[in-house]
This record gives sequence, C-alpha cells and structure tokens, in this order.
Amino acid sequence: MNALEGLAALLLVAGSSFFLAGTVGLLRFPDALSRLHALTKADNVGLLLICSGLGVLAGSLQTAGMLLLVWLLAMLAATVSAHLIAGRALADDTPELPGEQDDTP
Amino acid sequence: MSLAIDLLIATGLVVLAWQALVGGSLFRGIVMFIVFGLTMALAWARLGSPDLAMAEAAIGAGVTGALLMIAYWRLRALGANRPAPRSPLRARVALGVGLLSAVLVAMIGLAAVGAIGPGGEAGQALAEALPATGLGNPITGVLVIFRNLDTLLEVAVLLAAYVASRAVMGDDKAALPLPPAQDAPLVGALVAVLAPLAVLVAIYLLKAGSQLPGGAFQAGAVLAAGGVLLMLAGRLHPAPLCGVGLRIALVAGTVVFSGVGLIMLALGQPLLAIPGTWAVYLIETAMMISIGATLVLLFAGSAGLTGTPRR
Amino acid sequence: MSHAEVWVIAAAAVFGIGLYSLLIASHLLRQLIAIKVMGSAIFLVLVVAAGPIDGALDGLPKALVLTGIVIAISAIAFALALLVRLAEVTGSTSLEDEADDDR
Repeated sequence: MNALEGLAALLLVAGSSFFLAGTVGLLRFPDALSRLHALTKADNVGLLLICSGLGVLAGSLQTAGMLLLVWLLAMLAATVSAHLIAGRALADDTPELPGEQDDTP
Repeated sequence: MSLAIDLLIATGLVVLAWQALVGGSLFRGIVMFIVFGLTMALAWARLGSPDLAMAEAAIGAGVTGALLMIAYWRLRALGANRPAPRSPLRARVALGVGLLSAVLVAMIGLAAVGAIGPGGEAGQALAEALPATGLGNPITGVLVIFRNLDTLLEVAVLLAAYVASRAVMGDDKAALPLPPAQDAPLVGALVAVLAPLAVLVAIYLLKAGSQLPGGAFQAGAVLAAGGVLLMLAGRLHPAPLCGVGLRIALVAGTVVFSGVGLIMLALGQPLLAIPGTWAVYLIETAMMISIGATLVLLFAGSAGLTGTPRR
Repeated sequence: MSHAEVWVIAAAAVFGIGLYSLLIASHLLRQLIAIKVMGSAIFLVLVVAAGPIDGALDGLPKALVLTGIVIAISAIAFALALLVRLAEVTGSTSLEDEADDDR
C-alpha cells in the first residue's frame, strides 16, 4: 500500500464513521428535527470524505471532478428534502414520520 | 473479503424484503421496498452488471417507488377501507408454502449454477457477433439488434399499460388527484437545477449506452424522474386531453422501431434488420422519449400534461 | 460457500418471503409489492445461474432481465390503476369477500 492508497483508506474510513454516526442519530434521536440534524450534517460530510477518498484512488482529475459533482448534487437534494421534511414536521407538530401512525396490515 | 461484501448485501436484501412485506405500516413497507430496490442495484453492481444496477435504481426503485407512493396517497385520499388481517391458520399455511417455495427456488438455482458452463454457447455467440455491430455494450447489442422483436414488444407493452390504465379510469374522469404542489422556495431552485440536469443525464446515458453501461431504458427512466419532479413542484400539471406532441412522444418508440424494421423488409432485408449504428441511435432516442413520456403519464394518472394548471 | 451460492440462497429466501407475504397480506398494495419482490428474486437467480460473475460473455440473461424490469413496471403501473379504480368504485382495497369466514 503506497501513500496515496493509505490516504484514500483513511478518507474512506473517516467518511464511513460519519455515516455510522449519522445513522445512529437517525435511529436514536427522539423527534423528526433532531433526526434530520443528525442525518443531513453527518451524511453530507461523510459523502464528501468518501468521494474524496474515491477521487484519490481514481487518480484522474476527470473522475475526481465527477465525484465532486456527485457530492454537490447530493447536497442540493439533501438540503431541499431536509427543508421539506422539517417544514412538514413543524406544521404537523408530530414526532412521528408522516404515515407512520396508523395503517393497514 | 469480497465474499464478505456479497454476504452483507445478500443478507441486507433478505432483511429488507422482510421489512418491506411483513409487519409494519404500509407506508413503511413502501419506503422499505424502495430501499430494497436500491440494495438490488448494489447487488447487480456486485454481479458485474452496471446496466442492470442503473435500471434497477431508476426504474425498479425510483419510478416504481413513485408509482406506489402516489397510489398510496390516492387510496388514503379516497378513504378506502382497510382490510382486516388474515386468520392465524392462514398465516401458518402461508409460512409453510413460503418455506417450501424458498427451498424449491434454492434447489433450482443451485442446480442451474452448476449446470451452465462459463458464458454458455449463446453468450459465446454473442461475444463473437458483437464486434460486427459497432456496439461495445453487449446488452444494447442484444436489445436493439439480436433480440429486437422482444424489445419492440416491450416498448409496446409499456404503451399498452398506459392505454389500459386510461381505459379503467372510467369516462367521468379526466385525471386522478395529485397531492398539492410543494411551494416552498427551495423546491423551485432545486427543480430549476435538476430538470435540465435530468435531460442532460438522459442524453448522456443514451449516447454512452452503445459502448458503455446505459441505454434507452435507463435514460427514459431518468427523463421520467425529471417529469415527476416537475409535477410535484407544480410546474407540470395533469391535463384532460393528450396533446398531439405528447401522442407522438408516446408512440415514437414503437413507430420508429417497427418503421425501421418494415422499411428494411421492403428493401429485401429480413424483418427488423438494423441498417447501422445510426439506426440504433435513432431507435434508442425514440424509445427513450416514449418510455419517459409513458412513465410520467402513468404517474400523473391523466390523459395528458400541461404547463398551465386548469382553473 | 461460493459467491453464486450466496446470491442464490438469498434470492430463494427473498422469494419465500414474497410468497408468504402475498398469501397473508390482505391489502392489495402490499400484495403488489410482494409480487414485485418475488420477481426481483427470480431475476437474481437468472443472472447468477447464467455463469461467470465477472466475464463479459453473459450479456444475454442481463438483457433478458433488463426487459423484465421494464415489463414489471408496466404491469405494476396497470395494476395500481386497477387498484385505485377498485377503491373508487367499491371503497375497498382488498379482493376478499366481506362475508368470507377467513377473516
């Protein structure tokens, strides 16, 4: 393993641990807003770290650029969906996810 | 190490299938089904089929998920009765049948894995015949050239699904209800970026599909996703009538594909002979437009689409 | 255990869960998801059974499955239209007879 691969491995592991933290937050936090807080922050950083790690591994500027675009796009989508979920959670003032309350067997 | 990854994804598939289908609310089941679809995409990637991974993520998880969600919303809006749960006896019988079928599928699958040699004769023949077509992607080669009657009928089946869906709607209704559009300011900004991007990605997938993973079906699904997004953001609305342009888009795939085939027949070639790579692009472009338009209309539950809402 | 065996066994389990759910679920939407999941399991068996996992020779079953994915969504879309119409007309989301002693 050379230095570049070591750096990539470090970035990938760091990124995965952010995802792990975000997922634990999603599962453990009590209400929609704090779950969103855990997810959006941790996962965006995690994705950035993983994309950086893969970019280092790819060894080509073009691929690295595409990975950066992937991250930007995911950030954009995450921002807006978090905004919508938060708006809905505030409007409903309910700790549960929509549709979770009562349902069909 | 790579076996461990396969084991992880395979176990994930089983757990997600259980989560999607047994217990929990229906809403949760649909969400879990979408996650199941995305995990299937990972499985296809592990099995060396990026084409299938893209198709599964876009069509199997994305568009199917959107269709299930909108149907769920409509059923709730209708206030339809929730059926009562089944009897315990039936559950025990079902458990036995499920176990038996799993054993059967495992036996058939394991026998087949041992029985078929590497690639098989047909796979060998495909690898030998592919270079003559000028295509680098064997799947596109099979779909558009070697087995194109199937693909033509596949596009026709999708069109038939739209026509049949319209037919069961009843004469009194032009469109099924859609949830109110999200008017949050960020949504407009997102759509302004994603809608053109969907078109760009679709065209890229189509062009790449001749040599690399991609193709008309993945591209059409991406186009449809863009259309669904426009609809949810209130930029595109169901319309009671299907305009001429949309009609052309709906039938383009079937008409261009069969048209090329018939012209070749008239020129003394076999039916559906494909004259060259340009014809592959022509057919795939038409198929992409048809697939995109049909999937958006199936989501809309209406005959047509309009940019300006009906007042 | 080989790679192919892992996938085949997982696919078989998914198929069994799908059939079990198809039989016990009474909501038609859930039954539709069950049918779709069973289809995915069969696709998995088809591709895995076809041969080498990282060879370039197995384009045929993959193309077959790609066709299958599109046919599956066509069928699901039509079935969902039927389901919504059924709910509109009868107010029910199940095919069970109301008087069925099964419930």
